Amino acid sequence: MLEIKNLHAVVEGEDIEILKGVNLKVNKGEIHAIMGPNGSGKSTLAKVAAGHPEYEVTGGDILYDGESILELDPDERAHAGIFLAFQYPVEVPGVTNTTLLRESYNTIAASRGREELDPLEFDDYISDKLELVQMKRDFLDRSVNTGFSGGEKKRNEIFQMAVLQPKLSLLDETDSGLDIDALKIVSDGINKLHGDDDAVILITHYQRLLNYIEPDFVHVMIGGKIVKSGDKTLALKLEEQGYDWLEAHATVNGEAG
Amino acid sequence: MNSSTSVESSFLHRLAKHITASGKWAAIRNQSQKDLNMSSFPHKKIEEWRFTDLRPITRTEFVPFDEAGVFPATDIEQYFIPESDRSRLVFINGNYHEKYSSIGGLGKGVTVGNLSDFEEHDSVSEYLNKLVNYDNDVFVHFNGLNFVDGAFIHLEKDAKAEAPIQVLNLYTDAKEPFISTPRLLVVAEEESDVTIIEDHIGLAGNTYLTIPVCEVKAKQGAHIHHVRIQRDSLSALHVSRPIAYVEKNSEYHSYTINLGAKLARNEPRVVQEDEEVDFTLDGLVLIDGEQVADTHSVMDHRFSHGESHQLHKVVVNGSAHSIFNGKIFVRKDAQKIDSFQENRNLLLSNDGLVNTKPQLEIFADDVLCSHGATIGQLDPEEVFYLQSRGMTEEKAKEVLTYAFALETIENMKVESVHKLLIEEVYRYTKANTVAKVTA
Repeated sequence: MLEIKNLHAVVEGEDIEILKGVNLKVNKGEIHAIMGPNGSGKSTLAKVAAGHPEYEVTGGDILYDGESILELDPDERAHAGIFLAFQYPVEVPGVTNTTLLRESYNTIAASRGREELDPLEFDDYISDKLELVQMKRDFLDRSVNTGFSGGEKKRNEIFQMAVLQPKLSLLDETDSGLDIDALKIVSDGINKLHGDDDAVILITHYQRLLNYIEPDFVHVMIGGKIVKSGDKTLALKLEEQGYDWLEAHATVNGEAG
Repeated sequence: MNSSTSVESSFLHRLAKHITASGKWAAIRNQSQKDLNMSSFPHKKIEEWRFTDLRPITRTEFVPFDEAGVFPATDIEQYFIPESDRSRLVFINGNYHEKYSSIGGLGKGVTVGNLSDFEEHDSVSEYLNKLVNYDNDVFVHFNGLNFVDGAFIHLEKDAKAEAPIQVLNLYTDAKEPFISTPRLLVVAEEESDVTIIEDHIGLAGNTYLTIPVCEVKAKQGAHIHHVRIQRDSLSALHVSRPIAYVEKNSEYHSYTINLGAKLARNEPRVVQEDEEVDFTLDGLVLIDGEQVADTHSVMDHRFSHGESHQLHKVVVNGSAHSIFNGKIFVRKDAQKIDSFQENRNLLLSNDGLVNTKPQLEIFADDVLCSHGATIGQLDPEEVFYLQSRGMTEEKAKEVLTYAFALETIENMKVESVHKLLIEEVYRYTKANTVAKVTA
């Protein structure tokens, strides 16, 4: 489904390389976790995959269903089924959650050949999704993320994911800032949404999320590269030993730094 | 009378000589003629006009109205708002048109009609041309000399207007540029309540100058909701002087929407006449191309216990230019004033220009006055967020611009006006989208 090949990226207009040759392959039905210390490039990788204009790809490629998506705008990638749950969801005063979601749902539906929903049909459709993240109805009439608590914002991202039904979900530190109850709700939501036809990439600092969502693969990113991949036991090892042993490994090979 | 020697003759002075007396308003005309003779046309060296290029006005060859070759107004029903089906006054180029107007649907104690039919009305004698106070302002004096018709709205004590009153000012196409001088007088007696929709619409793309003068008197406990929509032709020049006096326990809430005109200068003023008042002077400006929109407002707190609110929002695209100067006066003995002023500007283009100047002059010591001015562009992170949810870049910008403008529109009490303004905002943002794609 997703194949990232030797991806290099810089901040647009600057010379600082943040991604320094990332390789990653994700198949349908899989859950991948990407871990790593601050500033390793995890969030950048997610944003670049979603088409954030702040970054410029200087080398390599991103293939989605076998086709390069580097030339696609963020909305075209969304239409193709890519979803980014933001680390810091943006407040959009004046636009209600319902308005945004119906607009999004229908645009994506149109481009993927699904039927568009009128306001009443849409209302029915999202009722179930609200339950999934245990949100109250009045939440729909509030301006997008405006005045939401940190936890509400994160739940709203998963709610959007539930409504839009993406094929590839990039969840950027969706667990950070959540208390244990909210973490359970969010994790449950993600587990229920995930199936055989879609893939999830979790970007996280903490092993604790992986107690609730079991990844098929765990990758460690340091210095703009994936330096180690393994199964879920790798996450436990990181929890115990930190990243030092891997950083040393990366430096010895002369690839990081 | 030294000052008269320093008055420079302008096109307004010259055109004033062509105005033929209508037989109405003799006293106002005489006074206005004298005042006009004493007043000069403004220029950039005067502080109040230093950001405003008046050449679009001074370089236009205006002709006397009779020589302008005006075309008839057609297809005007589309501008009637349904709520004002029986409370509508229609003026075409400043002249009252009874056949398009509809009055009498407002219930007991509400008088609505053409000013020139109410010359003998007590409130007309008492207030017309007496409330308008803009010092030596050529525009006001020219209006005073030239106007014959005008809108008159009077509410008796305790009267509540059952429907919003639409004052529709239409401007037609013409062979030559002309000047129009609309007039509006609102007198709301004790405890009365009225909503007024004042609309200025250019029916074609021609050049004209309109100088609306509006006088409002809110007596004790009266409530007035006043919406002013400026949709003049994009070649038009618009200089308006709306002033309101608010007595004890009264409320005056004014919302000005500036969409049209090549050059618009709006000078809303509210004067507090007693304690316990509440007033609003909100504005929304959406301009593009070469448009200039200039708002110079005054909120004059003269007594204690007043609340005032001014949110002035501006969206600038193309090479358009917005000017805002918001004066808040709090006089020496006016304590416990709570005044809020905010001017927010959204720049959509690189060539747009914004001048903003909040101006607080506070002489009392127990007051709460907040003010602020911001100028910014759409946040790229917000645009990306919406794009990542499937909206095109254009759609995302449209939604965000709409969201920016929405705050002022939300206060519209009249449903069709609320809808109309939402459509106008969408038309504005859409037009910009198209401009960018084809550029």
